[in-house]
Amino acid sequence: MIRRPGLELPRPSRRGLLTGGLALGASLGASLTLPGCAYIRDDVPIDKPLPPSAKAEIDGDLVYFNWADYLAPSVVKGFQREYGVKVIESNYDSMEGMYAKLAAGNQYDIVFPIAKWVVKLRQEGKLRSIDPAELENADQVFYSGSYFNDPWYDPGSKVSVPFTVYKTGIGWRTDKVSTMTNSWKDLWNDEARGRIFTLDDQDEALAMAALLLDYDVNTAKRSELDDIKDLLISQKEYLRAYSSDDVNNMTSGDAWIHHMWSGDFLYLREGLVDDPTKFDFQAPSEGVPINSDAYAIPTNARHPGTAMVFIDYLLRPENAVKNMNYLYYPFPVKDALPAFADLAKDVPACNVEISDLENENVFRLLGTDEVQRRAAVWTEVKAS
Amino acid sequence: MTETATRPRSAQRTSLWGWLLALPTAWMVAFFVSSMVIIVLLSFGRTTNDGYPAFATSTANYRAIWNEVYLELFLRSLAYAVATVVISALIAYPVAYVIALHGGRYKNALIAAIVVPFFASYLVRMYAWKALLSDDGLVNSALRHSGLSDGITFLNTPQAVIGGLVYGFVVFMILPIYASLERLDTSVIEAGKDLYHGPVRTFFSVTLPATRAGLYGGALLVFLPALGDFVSAQLLGGASTYMMGNLVQQQFAEGQNWPLGSALTVGMMAALTVLMVVYLRATSTRAQES
Repeated sequence: MIRRPGLELPRPSRRGLLTGGLALGASLGASLTLPGCAYIRDDVPIDKPLPPSAKAEIDGDLVYFNWADYLAPSVVKGFQREYGVKVIESNYDSMEGMYAKLAAGNQYDIVFPIAKWVVKLRQEGKLRSIDPAELENADQVFYSGSYFNDPWYDPGSKVSVPFTVYKTGIGWRTDKVSTMTNSWKDLWNDEARGRIFTLDDQDEALAMAALLLDYDVNTAKRSELDDIKDLLISQKEYLRAYSSDDVNNMTSGDAWIHHMWSGDFLYLREGLVDDPTKFDFQAPSEGVPINSDAYAIPTNARHPGTAMVFIDYLLRPENAVKNMNYLYYPFPVKDALPAFADLAKDVPACNVEISDLENENVFRLLGTDEVQRRAAVWTEVKAS
Repeated sequence: MTETATRPRSAQRTSLWGWLLALPTAWMVAFFVSSMVIIVLLSFGRTTNDGYPAFATSTANYRAIWNEVYLELFLRSLAYAVATVVISALIAYPVAYVIALHGGRYKNALIAAIVVPFFASYLVRMYAWKALLSDDGLVNSALRHSGLSDGITFLNTPQAVIGGLVYGFVVFMILPIYASLERLDTSVIEAGKDLYHGPVRTFFSVTLPATRAGLYGGALLVFLPALGDFVSAQLLGGASTYMMGNLVQQQFAEGQNWPLGSALTVGMMAALTVLMVVYLRATSTRAQES
């Protein structure tokens, strides 16, 4: 999944893609810098003992590696002021790009992987343990009964701390479309024919069709993939384009119905447009993909102590609220949840309940052959 | 997508020139040839279970590209690239002509005015087009205010993709045509007129043939990047304007299939080489005829 670059017109959408170009070029460039050994190494060892946790003590400036514009600047500034350290920021534009830089041996103190990348990084021993006992605010996410005590992507929550959660649904223009049915089938809506967008994202597009067909969102079964392919091709006559630039496609009037991410929608509606009542969002009844991002500390981080302090600082409810008001994605920080519910009060479908995470619609780390089978279907859909 | 330049070798080569050539040759071998070799080798490769590309001796990737969907994509890309060349030539020739023959002392300033905008990133300029041409963008708003139209769907169409390609690469057509017009001895145009040709006939029977080389060179310089481009289709294209560049790019990113991407690249290079040979033969015979 890729987000858009910082050169955006109004302000970058949070989870919109940086649709190609510069960003893709850059990420490709990044992956091409993989050391030569990457070509010849075969399947890496799995589940080595996890590198130990650092103490939460300032041990230098923070080398921070995240999507562009993915934390409120005021929060980052506040951290620098309070602890007297600098935050040295670099950005990635795709998970592949982030992974390639880590694999090439670049040293960062904190990264923000999407759930399935936590699985991969943990398996390969690239993440340090994070001991919650070191974090004063750990109880904000690891309270008794919390989903994040043992999330699917990090058993026992050993190497990650939850950052944001989000869902994928459908945003639409209430002034243009009157026949929405709270189903993924609405992406085949006649009223909006030619003004419908599907996310240009392999996982999201296949998941949407899989949910309509009542298949697992991660399916790699040939027969099911064939059904998904036929269904997605049948959608093409309704589509204007495949694009992950969801916020701009909506504000520019190009899209009347857009397959989009909840936080992008909320940002668009509450933070961008003149008349919010013209925009609404639904989480279709067939089920929606729910996913999450996490904080993690690479094994080779030079200042893991500062990173621990930084994570602790971000878990303070007042900072989580500031970040939510900037990103429009909910943070699973206990005392900040009411503030998010308030932010999303006009569009409750954008809210992500922690219980939503317990559904099965998360994007899992798949085997190479499975990814390639799914990619082949997605390629044929887009190429046809 | 290589620029198979056919530089005339200078007849005299002193050892100094030989040494001067060594550095660029080393550079090309290190960074251009070696990456080509890696792509060719990788096209026989496979992907490991944890997603790394690995060398192997499999022909599976070449069997996989023998797919009618890919052929259709190739033909579509070819059509877009040819349209881009034709439109670029129609735009570039008059522009180059006016600057070269009537630019006077503003020539260099005018050429700079054409070249300087191309220093800005192609991607940034594409985003600008999106802002201008969207349904509620500046152009459509102006059309609506003036009552000329209720709005035109510009974006996400094949025309938008071709428009983006023309905009992106037209400068590569203008410069070689300008160069050949600059070198043109204007007395041959006057001679044409003296022989009782009208301006139109003079243009087609004298000026145009004399500047053929620039046009042929420009066509090549526009065609190659246009055929391999993926940005225009991704930002301005619709649901059915996917191009070869997008296909290759997808294999290297989401598709997690570098070997297939490499095989597609090699296949495309092979097809292009054949086209190039045919083109160069045809144009060089024509150039000799004139």
